[in-house]
Amino acid sequence: MGTFVQLENFEKLLPYVDMFKEGLVVTVMLALFTVLLGFLLALVLALMRMSDLCPLRFLGVGKDGHLREGGILLWLSRFNPVSFIATAYVEIIRSTPVVVQVMIIYYGVFSNLFELPNFKMFGFISFARFFPGVVALAMNSGAYLCEIIRSGIQSIDGGQTEASRSLGLTQGQTMRYIILPQAIKNILPAIGNEFVTIIKESAITFTIGVQDIMAMVNAIRSAAFIIMEPLLVATALYFCLCFPTSKLIAYIERRMSRGDKR
Amino acid sequence: MATRDSLIQVTDLKKYYNKGAIKALDGITVDVNKGDVMVVIGPSGSGKSTFLRSLNLMEMPTGGSILFDGVDITKKKVPNEQGKLVKLDIDKHRQKMGMVFQHFNLFPHMTILENMTLAPIKVHHMPKAEAEKKALELLKRVGLGDRAEAYPIQLSGGQKQRVAIVRALMMEPEVMLFDEPTSALDPEMVGEVLDVMKELAQEGMTMVVVTHEMGFAREVGNRVLFMADGKLLEEGTPEDIFDHPHHPRLQEFLSKVL
Repeated sequence: MGTFVQLENFEKLLPYVDMFKEGLVVTVMLALFTVLLGFLLALVLALMRMSDLCPLRFLGVGKDGHLREGGILLWLSRFNPVSFIATAYVEIIRSTPVVVQVMIIYYGVFSNLFELPNFKMFGFISFARFFPGVVALAMNSGAYLCEIIRSGIQSIDGGQTEASRSLGLTQGQTMRYIILPQAIKNILPAIGNEFVTIIKESAITFTIGVQDIMAMVNAIRSAAFIIMEPLLVATALYFCLCFPTSKLIAYIERRMSRGDKR
Repeated sequence: MATRDSLIQVTDLKKYYNKGAIKALDGITVDVNKGDVMVVIGPSGSGKSTFLRSLNLMEMPTGGSILFDGVDITKKKVPNEQGKLVKLDIDKHRQKMGMVFQHFNLFPHMTILENMTLAPIKVHHMPKAEAEKKALELLKRVGLGDRAEAYPIQLSGGQKQRVAIVRALMMEPEVMLFDEPTSALDPEMVGEVLDVMKELAQEGMTMVVVTHEMGFAREVGNRVLFMADGKLLEEGTPEDIFDHPHHPRLQEFLSKVL
């Protein structure tokens, strides 16, 4: 029977402190780039999902100029290919494991289809591995953020739209001046949580050789033949990243809700 | 029949759900004339709100026509001055139809002043200073001159609804649509909102009012419509409707509410 951890093993970690530092930087960079890229993707997806582009709309209007009440023509007139593509994308991403997505992007897309320049960012981040990692994570979180943005917009009471449109404001103006300002306030906490999730999920990219915190744990295991102690260090590092982030978000949330009270 | 003063002509208006299984509106024909204060009464589920909301296409009717300023706004395309078919600009028509909702629907992230000036500034391109001046005058008239910088959450229900009314008036509409404006109010606040509406009626504003306030209907309305099951069952002056009701459904309804 061994023990859970051995204190003297932590001493064996001392030569690897710089590796953990590098891993920490990689993890933070991964999360930041992923959130930026993911948010842009999510905005596009949410707009696609809520778009009103029905190329067959004319089929829904009967000979008398009124909307049909049912039937295949009405269904066809409501078909929105842009929204369909976005919805399909979101559902596929949400129904498959992120590790599979990361591997498909790395091995399938960037190893076979596109050749990436193999240079080192900051002298230690391999771009050819880092970039596919960011793309895969951003594609994943984009799908989730899309749903957050969409639900935030749709959570705004329909009466707000009605009031705005009854004043003669267009659909676009209603979105810009009435819906989005309220929606963004509502979804900020959820976006913050997604950011924390991304920090944690970025650990999965060690499977494609991104040298993040988790990859360092693996490296130390093969070099020093210890696993629990580096894992505990990794745990502490992730906690130190995520816990203050979520506290910061909670603080911002409180600041923003101040206006809601008398 | 279209008179010279007719503002909205509703003809055989229908709103069906589930392929006609549910008839929210079943062939409503009525003219709203300039200066009318038309009060629509009826039991809940009778289609009176649907009727009102169809007038500015908050609900899309499934049949019939609504002529507003001579344009059939239920059509996707309408002829322009040259007789060419162009896409109907419903926003333009809605600017001329103010609407007041049961739940006020003020914009919670804006001050009262911002609530009122948004549409004139963005739609009519009115200069901000002019819009604010106009808003303050209207607020003073409804006794809320000192609340311009407040947020909707800081107001009582009655105050909110008064703001909602003047917000709609900012666009200088030709007709005001009221969808149960006092139904969500505490009883002691109903009076202050009805007073504003009464004043508006006395100034000659054309109004269509869906309400359960029979006192208001009798005192302020010049025409009363009784609806049930999506049909317009009886129409007349307040005296006709309240003192000499003919239709048995109306008699039954009045016996319950009066």
